[in-house]
Amino acid sequence: MDLSNSMAIVATGLRAQTARMRVISENIANANSTSPTSGGEPYRRKVPTMQSDFDRELGATTVKPGDPVPDMTDFRLQYDPGNPGADKAGYVKLPNVNPLIEVMDMREAQRSYEADLTVMEASKSMLARTVDLLRK
Amino acid sequence: MNLTDVPLMSLLRTRMSWLNSRQTLLSQNVANADTPGYAARDLKPVDFETELACAGPKGFSGMAVTDARHIALPVSGLQPDEQQTEVDTSPTGNSVSLEEEMMKVADTQAQYQTASNIYSKAIGMMRTAIGSV
Repeated sequence: MDLSNSMAIVATGLRAQTARMRVISENIANANSTSPTSGGEPYRRKVPTMQSDFDRELGATTVKPGDPVPDMTDFRLQYDPGNPGADKAGYVKLPNVNPLIEVMDMREAQRSYEADLTVMEASKSMLARTVDLLRK
Repeated sequence: MNLTDVPLMSLLRTRMSWLNSRQTLLSQNVANADTPGYAARDLKPVDFETELACAGPKGFSGMAVTDARHIALPVSGLQPDEQQTEVDTSPTGNSVSLEEEMMKVADTQAQYQTASNIYSKAIGMMRTAIGSV
């Protein structure tokens, strides 16, 4: 059944976008998480990844979420001697999360998710049309 | 006589299976819309000349028949033949354009609807010919 395969393929896309959203929300939630110990490292941003994967059963290229990769860019420094995470000089390291980038990434994930849903709707209606041929 | 022996029916059947394959391919493109290095694919457009030759009384053969004992294989041009679409590629090496894919999905859906409507109309006409059974 080609059409049910088509739905199974876009379902992997939906799953991958969900996994991506999970990583993004993790980043946004931890945008201000500093280290509890003096001079320690704050939360490090994770980059969601995706890879295509050939599914032998479906005979098609599906997508699967890859392991999130840590973002190795530098942390921002802020002078805040009262913070428990501040080093001897009084500077505290802030996470390398840029909320603007996260929001844009989220929009992109949302757009792809909607596209997946549209294809699923189309396949579903085509399948329904085929079944309708039986009624007449 | 089989229903699929009727030229119109067999044409519609191949048309619908071609659209089916296209929909599967398009869903792969959409699912991989954010995968780095993924190249968008599409089916080759149907060539009318080939189809006409195939639907004709002689039947189109992909292989030459040079001897009386050779059997001609009926090959339809509606065979799915994948080709890479030529669109601009993003810096990640992905060439899927969601807008284009959405357009193609809507197009495939409409054409499938047309084919299935013609199919049920043809069945209805045959039923009329048989008489109300």
